[in-house]
Amino acid sequence: MKNGMKLLASVTALALAGSLLTGCGKKGAGASSGETTNLVMYVIGDRPAGQDKADANFNEILKKKMNCTLTVNWIPWADFTNKYPLLFSSGEEFDMAYTAAWLNFTSLAQKGAFKQLDTLWPQYAPKNYARQSDAAKQEATVAGHKYCVPTLLATYTAYGPIYRTDIMAGTDWNGKMNTFDDIEKYCDIVKKTHPELDPIDIYAQGSEWDDTYMYSTGYRSSKNATNDFLFYNPEEKNPKIVTYYECSTIPQFLDMMARWNKKGFFPKSALADTDSTKTQNGKAAVRTHNIDTYQGYAILHPEWNFKYQAMNKYVTHLPFTQDAMVVSNTSKNPEKAMQVWELITNDREVFDAFFYGILGTTYSLNDKGEYKILDPNQYALSDMWAARTIEFTRNGVGTPDDYQTQRTGYEAFMKSGPEAEQAVKFEAFAIDTSKIETEYAACQNVHQQYWWPLELGYTDAKKGLAEYKAKMEAAGIEKVRAEIQRQLDAYTATIK
Amino acid sequence: MAASVKNRDNSSVLFYVICYAFILAVALISFIPFLMLISGSFTSEHAIRFGGYSLIPKEWSASAYELIFKTPMTVVHAYGVSILITVVGTALGLFITTMAAYVISRKDFKYRNVLSFFFYFTTLFNGGMLSTYIFYIRYYHLKDSLWALVIPGLFNVFYLLIMRSFVSAVPAALIESAEIDGAGEYRTFFQIILPLLQSGLATIGLFIALGYWNDWYNAMLYINSTDKYPLQYMLYTLLQKTEAMSRIASSAGIPVMDMPSHSLKMAMAVVATGPIILVYPFVQKYFVKGITIGSVKG
Amino acid sequence: MERQLKVPNYRGKKYAALLSMAAPAIIITLAFAYFPMSGLVLAFKNYRFDRGVFGSAWNGFENFRYLFQSGTGWLITRNTVMYNLLNLFTSQALAIIIAIFITEITSMTFRKVSQSVIFLPYFISWVIVGTFVYNIFNYETGALNTMLRAINVQPVNVYDKPGVWPWIICFFNAWKWAGYNSVIYIAAITGIDAEPYEAAEIDGASISQRIRYITLPGILPTVITMLLLQVGRILRGDFEMFYQIVGNNGQLFNATDVIDTYVFRSLLQNSNLGMTAAASLYQSVLCFAIIMVVNAVVKRIDADYALF
Repeated sequence: MKNGMKLLASVTALALAGSLLTGCGKKGAGASSGETTNLVMYVIGDRPAGQDKADANFNEILKKKMNCTLTVNWIPWADFTNKYPLLFSSGEEFDMAYTAAWLNFTSLAQKGAFKQLDTLWPQYAPKNYARQSDAAKQEATVAGHKYCVPTLLATYTAYGPIYRTDIMAGTDWNGKMNTFDDIEKYCDIVKKTHPELDPIDIYAQGSEWDDTYMYSTGYRSSKNATNDFLFYNPEEKNPKIVTYYECSTIPQFLDMMARWNKKGFFPKSALADTDSTKTQNGKAAVRTHNIDTYQGYAILHPEWNFKYQAMNKYVTHLPFTQDAMVVSNTSKNPEKAMQVWELITNDREVFDAFFYGILGTTYSLNDKGEYKILDPNQYALSDMWAARTIEFTRNGVGTPDDYQTQRTGYEAFMKSGPEAEQAVKFEAFAIDTSKIETEYAACQNVHQQYWWPLELGYTDAKKGLAEYKAKMEAAGIEKVRAEIQRQLDAYTATIK
Repeated sequence: MAASVKNRDNSSVLFYVICYAFILAVALISFIPFLMLISGSFTSEHAIRFGGYSLIPKEWSASAYELIFKTPMTVVHAYGVSILITVVGTALGLFITTMAAYVISRKDFKYRNVLSFFFYFTTLFNGGMLSTYIFYIRYYHLKDSLWALVIPGLFNVFYLLIMRSFVSAVPAALIESAEIDGAGEYRTFFQIILPLLQSGLATIGLFIALGYWNDWYNAMLYINSTDKYPLQYMLYTLLQKTEAMSRIASSAGIPVMDMPSHSLKMAMAVVATGPIILVYPFVQKYFVKGITIGSVKG
Repeated sequence: MERQLKVPNYRGKKYAALLSMAAPAIIITLAFAYFPMSGLVLAFKNYRFDRGVFGSAWNGFENFRYLFQSGTGWLITRNTVMYNLLNLFTSQALAIIIAIFITEITSMTFRKVSQSVIFLPYFISWVIVGTFVYNIFNYETGALNTMLRAINVQPVNVYDKPGVWPWIICFFNAWKWAGYNSVIYIAAITGIDAEPYEAAEIDGASISQRIRYITLPGILPTVITMLLLQVGRILRGDFEMFYQIVGNNGQLFNATDVIDTYVFRSLLQNSNLGMTAAASLYQSVLCFAIIMVVNAVVKRIDADYALF
């Protein structure tokens, strides 16, 4: 009986299997008919449930204007670390993809993952090319060739506290948030009046207060991102690359953080807390981040009266490769891809259809031109953030007024004087770690292991700093520093 | 005689007390986190954020489940995919594994150790994600195919070797007498071995099924269409989304979004795990003691 | 003793039949395990996307350097092996004890219910276990510290005491796998011939005698197989478990870092496929060396117990 059942099961299985096999297969990709080309684009994000509608609408418009269609494939957030590099190494045919610094754009470009755009870009997307700043074009250049089309939307290095003001009602807070002392006073009040809150939002990805501190004293990060361990000061004539333990003001920063830890401004086990949403969900009162996050929080919770104060001494543009578009080496239609990109970034109707969807169905606009997604469970913005331009991008309903004024303020500041302009000249400096990959990885590890607890006051300031120095040296920081210094010197020579 | 009987009673009682107490303790330790999981899925997000997890919901809320079942078709689809792969995969996989286990358990098969090593070597050395991915996608054309979810779990060398030890427990004399009676290998396998392998088949069958049910890795690599997502992959995307996004904390381009709440993650875990838990009690009846009595004499 | 039948090519027919039975397994193994194994060369290549795996240039042992830079190689290898040995013994021992006890229990309902319940931890993913761990041990609101405060004891910051974490990890590992592993042993116990048990009953043996002389020897082949299988994975850490429980607490890294977590952190901002492959190869080669030795030793003692 038993073996009879087994045989039956096996036969059924094989039959089902056969049907599985016939039922699925490759999705129709590439040219469907002789005329309309279909381009494929990959973005990162979880595909909204109602995206089909928006895609269909966009493709209608695209077909009319350019006789081609675009299929957008979404790589879910949970998978991008694995699937994004696989995308470029498996030989799969596709045309465009989103890229960013956090997707290791430079590293991938150096290893030949993307198509060179030196001729394609100016030829097939000339308006886009002309609108790009020199810094952007330089940032798109890796090893002498252009590998991506950066975004035309400026973002800023501004970093500083995003803080709730509703909880300060009825207290004797003076409303100032310009220095670290101000922040400390604010947190003291929070601790006293709202003990159930964490005054400062720190979680498992480490604290960014160290970077904020360095920015406030005028230093720039060598890799133009937080969680860095090498900095330089653009005010110097020939800027020198320094580490944390060489900065004279760091010991007092560490003492301050140790004091903050003792006062209980953040949990003692914060590095084990995986909750990254404490501020936006009301568990924490202040977080240091950039101005766009401030906008996001303010839209989500207008009732909490978030405010923002950038603490950088010099605000400059973030690299325009924060969001960029790359063309794959396996693309069969790179010219068409560039043309579609040119259309998206220059034609208002096409951009709106691509980025926001269908007016009245997926999104609505108010009289200020601010957008609102009509059903967040079904629709969302496009995850191709690289498509945004200064002219076309819209703010969400509920954006605080000072968001725009602060941004225009940054632009003005960047032209306000020789020191500010000097800092701006260093915008396009990007490091190339290909010769020091091993040492850089080792230093990164040491940084995470020894600095992250140190900067939160979990380990003793003096001993911890000495240990950090010793471990960094063992990891090869000097070799890294020498190489980066060499690159910085070469760059400094070009901007003199 | 009387003294030894009394001794036996005392030591048995002590033994049974220890036995029950120990199992009870282990069961409790195993059950409590599960209870916290269920309770967490029914707790309001606010209570979890400010009060942590507890055995009984501090503030009852079924909103997590409401959210999951708002689009019931996605969940139903995912269930369908998971069930299909598990059933097909387990049936095929169990069959292939057991036959291979039988082959390498035969002491009179000269090449059994060579074959065992051939299989075992693959657990030591692995070509890596990229190479495997390229083979599946480019050479075997399994992109976005449900077969890509079935094949990786069909033949697991660990289960093979465990099954081999079960097959070895069948007395060799039985196989010999079948040989003498003129039965070929296939007949011996189906008529003699299989019926005696009940608990072994149940165990490995269970493990293969669980392996399929819990697999999200292959879905992540090979599946692109949302209607082919298995249940555990849906859970995985939900759980890891916050993790992944928090890692790119410093980027300017990513807009602030509403993240899946803690209770949503718990609810999804309950939904994804639910049915398979019921399979184990169902399979328990195959763990029956002493099945080979009477078949070997002398 | 085998009685050879006088059928021509008997051996050949038998072997052909056996090989055909193993054929599906062999084909799957070849196609999906051996062919992709060619990717191992990545460990020695400076991988470029536009040249592919086989077109990229060789770079010797360069990809291995980061593992051993600044003395970390020894630390993570030692940690990985230690944790695996610790977890191996505790979880297998626990599983065996549970299996023996459960099969001795006479009440059917208690047995079935407890068997199912003990299996539950297997279903809870490490991500969720990680949040539970944080909930228990965190300084401000953790269950442990709340209890300590309630009895007027100073709360303890577990996260800056590296020495405790091996035991915490060992506990959670045993908790998760005990039920799963016990199933194998329960199946092995129920597979033991009933005859010796009946004989023991008649001879008046006590329960512990019964267990010592019949049950344990009866499951010995299974125990050895399981131990050997685990030893073959002794250089591979359970990444998810370590990553979710320890998180990014640098203070604990020296005590809890295993090869897999170290590699993950090193390559997060640098998708260097060659370096990932190098780490995996390092683990594979060491596992290979160890299991070859251990298997040979077991083979000398009793050839039937060896894996191959």
